[in-house]
Amino acid sequence: MIFRPKYFFGETFSGLRRNFLMFFTAISTVAITLFMVGFFLIIVYDVQAILSSVKSQVEVAVYLKDNATQEFRDYLESEIKSWEEVSEVVFISKEQALEKFKADNEGSDILKEIQGNPLPASFEIRLSSPEKVEQIALRFLTKEGTYIDGVDEVIYGQNYVQKLFQITAIAGSIAFLVIVMLLLAAIVLIYNTIRLSIHARRKEIEVMKLVGATNWFVRIPFLFEGFFEGVVGSIIAVIMLFFISNYLLIRGEKAIIDTLRVKELAILGSSNVILYIYAGIIILGGLIGLLSSSFALKRYIRV
Amino acid sequence: MNMIELRNVSKVYEDKSVALKNINIGIKKGEFVFLVGPSGSGKSTIIKLLIREIPVTGGAIFIAGRNICNLKYSRVPQLRRNIGSVFQDFKLLPNKTVFENVAFALEVIGRPGYVIKLQVPQVLKLVGLEHKMKSYPHQLSAGEQQRVSIARAFVNRPPILLADEPTGNLDPVNSEGIMKLLSRINLIGTTVAMATHDRNIVNSMRRRVIELEEGEVIRDQKRGVYGS
Ligand SMILES: Nc1ncnc2c1ncn2[C@@H]1O[C@H](COP(=O)(O)OP(=O)(O)OP(=O)(O)O)[C@@H](O)[C@H]1O
Ligand SMILES: [Mg+2]
Repeated sequence: MIFRPKYFFGETFSGLRRNFLMFFTAISTVAITLFMVGFFLIIVYDVQAILSSVKSQVEVAVYLKDNATQEFRDYLESEIKSWEEVSEVVFISKEQALEKFKADNEGSDILKEIQGNPLPASFEIRLSSPEKVEQIALRFLTKEGTYIDGVDEVIYGQNYVQKLFQITAIAGSIAFLVIVMLLLAAIVLIYNTIRLSIHARRKEIEVMKLVGATNWFVRIPFLFEGFFEGVVGSIIAVIMLFFISNYLLIRGEKAIIDTLRVKELAILGSSNVILYIYAGIIILGGLIGLLSSSFALKRYIRV
Repeated sequence: MNMIELRNVSKVYEDKSVALKNINIGIKKGEFVFLVGPSGSGKSTIIKLLIREIPVTGGAIFIAGRNICNLKYSRVPQLRRNIGSVFQDFKLLPNKTVFENVAFALEVIGRPGYVIKLQVPQVLKLVGLEHKMKSYPHQLSAGEQQRVSIARAFVNRPPILLADEPTGNLDPVNSEGIMKLLSRINLIGTTVAMATHDRNIVNSMRRRVIELEEGEVIRDQKRGVYGS
């Protein structure tokens, strides 16, 4: 077959001009559906980032009794360090605790009422596997359910930590499911739109086959058109995502960052993830357009 | 050698309806043949078989000595470039002008632009529509539309022209014009086969008539008339 770019591009663009409504419908279908996929993807990514940053801040604080001996302290420290779930152990002496308390409450009346040093010494334990927090905390209990000698209290956010982990696990799988469904819906919608626009031109295909056009000759303008619609639609989706993420959500995200100290939010562009999402959407758009045309043509090509 | 030859051809459609039963027909180069017969007798089926729109059930079809039944799918376009076909419903593209409709047939088989610029006006002149090149099909009469579709079928100068009830939608005056055109195309040496219901046309032309009934050839006359 002779490749004749003038014919193919001419045919594609005159097709676009004549079937503007179809063309417009296909492009907006791609734009809207892929925008939804992308938007949800960004939200899910950010929520996951927030949750994992919250998780990484999970700590266990072990408060020691004032009568705990130096030997006990050393023993406990080396014991804790030997646990593999632990990433860091910091000892805070009574004096350090008091200083920190004073610094935190600078200028407050509460400081005047403090006499001596009522604050306990403690170990602050950071975890490499935050979801093990409850098991770690339990190691400071005896079989009878009291704290081991020398330990006054263990605090790790008993009430919310475990729930947080359950919620993130469930939210993660729901989000995955929703993204898959959104994507499927996008594919079905785009496929059907492109199929309809090919159906509207079945007469053209019939004539082409009748006068002896080869299959490729019939196919290429349609494939090109599908690809073009997919790419243009997804570029529009990406532009919408870009503006939405930069001008609408950024404030909400700033607030989240300030309170939760999260740095890796996709939407901020501080990570490359958003670029991968954008590139992925455009590649996906082109592919869905091309494959939709290709599959939709199968029905009409064997005239 | 026959230009078109059907040897023991039978056709049974997917729904088991029998359209042709063991048909034998030979058409020489340059002949003009009418296919007549009542509705459902198998005229259109023969035309569809000749352009490989549908496969045969039994027997073999030869075009210019070549068996087209075992033609590879990728060779079918080549076959169709050698057979012009015309239908009752014209099959013109409504959003293309007369010139574009005819040029389309050359474009999609990869003919270069200068050939198109040369051949399209030529064939439009042959069908008497050189002054309507820029019109759209809806701006033409039915007879003119059919002439455009003949121009499109013939622009590539195929050795064979098939017409399935080309005058089915036309009044007698327009039909006569179409028949004159087909005769002229036949005179240049093109083999023409035309399926028709039109008694007057067949009787006035006095050409070879092949009559079908229920998928069988019941008459094959050199200079025949419509009914026996
Ligand atoms: N696509 C099809 N599927 C099933 N049966 C078909 C199909 N096309 C035609 N037939 C059957 O084959 C037989 C021959 O049909 P054909 O169209 O060849 O007749 P015809 O002579 O062209 O009739 P008409 O003069 O009405 O156009 C008929 O019985 C018809 O019902
Ligand atoms: Mg018929």
